[in-house]
Amino acid sequence: MEKLKLMIVDDEERFLTTTEKLLKKMGVDVVTASSGGEALEKLRAHTVHVVILDVKMPGMDGVATLKQIKRQFPMIEVIMLTGHGTLESAVEGLKTGAVDYLTKPADLDQILEKANDAFSRRKSIEERIRVARMRGLMKSPREILKNT
Amino acid sequence: MEKNHYTDIRRFILINMILVPSIPFLIVIGIGYHQLSRSIESSTIASMERIVGDHRHMISSFLDERKNDLELIVNTVRFDELIRPERLSSVFTQLQLTSSAFSDLGIFDENGVHVAYHGPFNLTGKIYREEPWFQETIKNGVYISDVFLGFRNFPHFIIAVAGMGNDRPWIIRATVDSQRFTTLVRQVRIGKTGEAYLLNSQGVLQTNRRSGGELMEKPLDTIPTPPKGDDIHTLIHSREGEETFLYAGAWLKDQQWLLVVRQEKSDAFHALYDSWLPVGLISLIGGACIVWAAFTLTSAIVRKMEKTDTEKALLSQQLIGASRLAELGEMAAGFAHEINNPLQVINTELSLIRVLKDEMVEAGHLQKGESYEEIVDSMDQIKIQIDRCSKITRAILKFGRQEDGHFESLALDKIVPEIIDMVQKKAEINGIRIERRLPDTTIRVQADSARLQQVFLNLLNNAMDAIIEKSGSTGGSIRVSVRDGSNGMAAVNVSDSGAGIAPENMAKIFSPFFTTKPVGKGTGLGLSVCHGIIEQMGGKMVVSSKVGVGTKFTVELPAAQLKI
Repeated sequence: MEKLKLMIVDDEERFLTTTEKLLKKMGVDVVTASSGGEALEKLRAHTVHVVILDVKMPGMDGVATLKQIKRQFPMIEVIMLTGHGTLESAVEGLKTGAVDYLTKPADLDQILEKANDAFSRRKSIEERIRVARMRGLMKSPREILKNT
Repeated sequence: MEKNHYTDIRRFILINMILVPSIPFLIVIGIGYHQLSRSIESSTIASMERIVGDHRHMISSFLDERKNDLELIVNTVRFDELIRPERLSSVFTQLQLTSSAFSDLGIFDENGVHVAYHGPFNLTGKIYREEPWFQETIKNGVYISDVFLGFRNFPHFIIAVAGMGNDRPWIIRATVDSQRFTTLVRQVRIGKTGEAYLLNSQGVLQTNRRSGGELMEKPLDTIPTPPKGDDIHTLIHSREGEETFLYAGAWLKDQQWLLVVRQEKSDAFHALYDSWLPVGLISLIGGACIVWAAFTLTSAIVRKMEKTDTEKALLSQQLIGASRLAELGEMAAGFAHEINNPLQVINTELSLIRVLKDEMVEAGHLQKGESYEEIVDSMDQIKIQIDRCSKITRAILKFGRQEDGHFESLALDKIVPEIIDMVQKKAEINGIRIERRLPDTTIRVQADSARLQQVFLNLLNNAMDAIIEKSGSTGGSIRVSVRDGSNGMAAVNVSDSGAGIAPENMAKIFSPFFTTKPVGKGTGLGLSVCHGIIEQMGGKMVVSSKVGVGTKFTVELPAAQLKI
């Protein structure tokens, strides 16, 4: 069974390092990025299932980064992490394609729980896609040949 | 200062409103009155001049006619014929037929001897050579005397005409009763005091004067002698201590007699003086109208200004208040957001410490004991304080976020019971009874349901806290009533039997961060947020309270327009 690979994007360096340490102790694969640009770069190099994305960052902010991620890596699930205890930015994120949101300060358990939810959601979608492809394959194996 | 400002404005407007219309008003009155007096004066003077002119003509005609009568005799009857008494008598009779004014007739030779006489006196034989009238007649051919009384004792004058007979001059002289033109002159009557009289060139009266002054006397009111000529002269003259008179005079009888018409000035111009009353009355009423209008309008204007200024001041006060609150909200939101980031870091660090602690315990590096328990307790406390901070920032962010909302038509009589149901359980645990007073009809308001829920939950929670504070677990009651308010507003009352609010706190009750709850129990933002929400919905939130009796919050919301 595939293991959850998590990316955390936040401009708070200390938050990143500590969270990484903790998650690694829990046995979760973690990649960190301190800006939107860095996140996109690392996504190209690493396989990541779920991204925890801070909304407010200098330079490219969370919503802009989310748009890029969803465009370039549509299969990656994104959870917004907002400093605003309000719905607005989270709602905007959800509209743009985020799967869920967390408000700061968030407990690690919460983060992990939401990430796992998103991961299983992703897995179920992938499963459905796989089943659909299998069906297509059984119907006409030629189509697979065409597609490949 | 403010009062002075209005007093100044009032004075300024008042002065202008009185002065500006008064100036044309006074000019019109002045010009009108001036023209009126000019026209009255000129017509009065013109009528006096006409009277003088007419009468001069009559008197001159009378004198000319009498002179002509005598000249006719001189030219038609010879001297030697005339001196015969019977002939003279018939001539006199003839003369009296033309004018009864003749009272005698005499004939004089060149030596001034009265050669023949017809009349009531016996004057025949008297010599008049040295008499001025005789010499005057010889010289000029004709002579008309001034009026005198003589021994006849009635006003008369003489007319003498010289003729030529056998190369020798002779004179015919007649005495003429001056009563004729005296009557004529005395008949002149203008107004109450208007009269006419004759003066000779020495200023001696030739006729009686109605207002005093006998024939042959010099009147007391000597007027400056007008220049000789045919013109009619008018003048206004007054003697000290007497009435002022208007005079009109004209010379006649070869500039020897002066016909004078005079009238008291006040009488002559009485029409003018009479017009004083209506003019004065009009001025008074007009002036009063102007002043009245000025006062009325000024107070109206100043009142209106004061009202506008008050409204303006109130509005700007509200604007300042609103903008301050908005600024405060924005600042608070930014502040809360910035606090959340470090909180997140602390939270994560705490989690790490916990994990590390468990690892150390497992590895046997850390012995469980009193110190260990204290460390664990301390870490728990850190977590509690983090959550507390988080709660505050969340509340602050709610406070700062008041600009949006989804408005819809909500039935208050449905939504309020739903909200009450949410706290029902908590109320029952604390022994609090919630009384509902709902209307039979549906009351709809235009509002955001989530916000409205937030407001009423807040009010209900506060009410319960107040009851618990006062009575502990013995409980109390909350009454929630929904009703139609005035001015198209719907009202919800939430009243409790709680501890009440101290009077000194009433003013601060809606201020952000104000709380009477113990540290850590309340953020002091609840009511301030509620107040903001209700205001934003176009409603009103008011509170009344009595310490030890209870508190009543009233929320008024604009009722939704019924769609037809």
